[in-house]
Amino acid sequence: MAVCTVYTSQSFNSTCSISTPTKTHLGFHQKQVVFYSTGKRTNKRGSSSCGPCVITCSAGDSQTVVIGLAADSGCGKSTFMRRLTSVFGGAAEPPKGGNPDSNTLISDMTTVICLDDYHSLDRTGRKEKGVTALDPRANNFDLMHEQVKALKSGIAVEKPIYNHVTGLLDPPELIKPPKILVIEGLHPMFDERVRDLLDFSIYLDISNEVKFAWKIQRDMAERGHSLESIKASIEARKPDFDAYIDSQKQYADAVIEVLPTQLIPDDNEGKVLRVRLIMKEGVKNFSPVYLFDEGSTISWIPCGRKLTCSYPGIKFFYGPDTYFGHEVSILEMDGQFDRLDELIYVESHLSNISTKFYGEVTQQLLKHADFPGSNNGTGLFQTIVGLKIRDLYEQITASKTAAPLEATKA
Amino acid sequence: MASLTFHSLTGTVEKIPTSSFCSNPRISATFHCKNKGEKRVSRMTLKAMGGAAKYKGTQMREKQLTEMIEKKVTEAKEVCKGDETSDECKVAWDEVEEISQAKADLRIKLEIEKKDPLESFCQENPETEECRIYED
Repeated sequence: MAVCTVYTSQSFNSTCSISTPTKTHLGFHQKQVVFYSTGKRTNKRGSSSCGPCVITCSAGDSQTVVIGLAADSGCGKSTFMRRLTSVFGGAAEPPKGGNPDSNTLISDMTTVICLDDYHSLDRTGRKEKGVTALDPRANNFDLMHEQVKALKSGIAVEKPIYNHVTGLLDPPELIKPPKILVIEGLHPMFDERVRDLLDFSIYLDISNEVKFAWKIQRDMAERGHSLESIKASIEARKPDFDAYIDSQKQYADAVIEVLPTQLIPDDNEGKVLRVRLIMKEGVKNFSPVYLFDEGSTISWIPCGRKLTCSYPGIKFFYGPDTYFGHEVSILEMDGQFDRLDELIYVESHLSNISTKFYGEVTQQLLKHADFPGSNNGTGLFQTIVGLKIRDLYEQITASKTAAPLEATKA
Repeated sequence: MASLTFHSLTGTVEKIPTSSFCSNPRISATFHCKNKGEKRVSRMTLKAMGGAAKYKGTQMREKQLTEMIEKKVTEAKEVCKGDETSDECKVAWDEVEEISQAKADLRIKLEIEKKDPLESFCQENPETEECRIYED
């Protein structure tokens, strides 16, 4: 429902005519009303007459906040997505009654779209052209931009479905504009026009060693796979990955970097992780998380007299840095949580985590204790980023309802 | 891999009940089946190991993906023999990655989320082939 308030500093006399657009779009929330003043207007204040005045009203509900998440680990089913949607409450489900192979997830507040749905080439097409899914040539950025823009303005779209099993493009599904739209996939920040639509962007940067360890865990149980095949697959995709995906890192507002631990010498199991949350400074509606003293450099081992941790323990680091020419703050955690009290202890020492109550981060992690990474920096930082996004969303919606529109003043 | 074993004591159950007749046999150990006026009572024991596919369609898909992985790995090795840096080689291993991830996603869905992807579809279409309750 649109609410329009018009403020004018001068009254319109009867020579003004009002014309409204005859064409209305389905679900289009913006209506432009154009006033033409035809008669001669004298103004005591001496300011010039305004001529055609355009007053735009926007409906109160076209406030879709768009988040971009770059990740190599498939779409909409990633742990990060599950944690994020959980912060907003409710479980994210595939659209009911639609294509069972849909990649989309919908919850009360959020809709997660998998960017693979914008493949312009299906599996056969890519084979013919000799391009991987990582290659921009396999993706329709025009359509991606058009639809993300539409959803952001409150217009529903018919989005294609890319079926990862058959490798074909299935008939489209209707996506209604949500409060929060998350676009997840390989190229959320590749195209500049799409990048400009994002209110916040995250890049999940998994180091090669950890990627290898994770893919071994994922694939070794499969009959067709061996250590060699897993390695070969990673190696073969690396050139395209570095050229097209990794290059998006520099645009992200937050990067979650996952590296092997430094606490255990020569560890190659990838079970204990060193995770760095790299947060850009100066991003609107986003204030980086910090430890103890903002802008300073801190090295912190919480385990000691007050807190006993088991091997290999936990180590934190916080400090300012530059990343691809940008000022950033980095919060780093190496090691893993063993017990509830370790979690709550750490949480109580972090600042700017945008929780609504004490212990919210711990609660979120416990709620999904079975998700991978719940005992280390990946789970911790993904949850914190989820809370920062909630905070960002609330700030954006608060500012939008406060200032509905402004009339042009003569 | 999950297996479901149904032991019928009385032997009167000839047809595996569909969801439209009976409460979910996976949840209850005993159930009563009304089939066109006849009352059949069977005791079913369930032995499910790990995340189980509930519907036949999902079970078949799991099998299909496993076979595809094997096939695509073999293909990739073949294609890359000539030139490891060729486009064909890249694409072949990319396909292996795509299918491996699809299989892993299915596994996560079944084992961690404990949901069969066909659940919603099968509620609407219980009589289709793929919505038959998976039996051994």
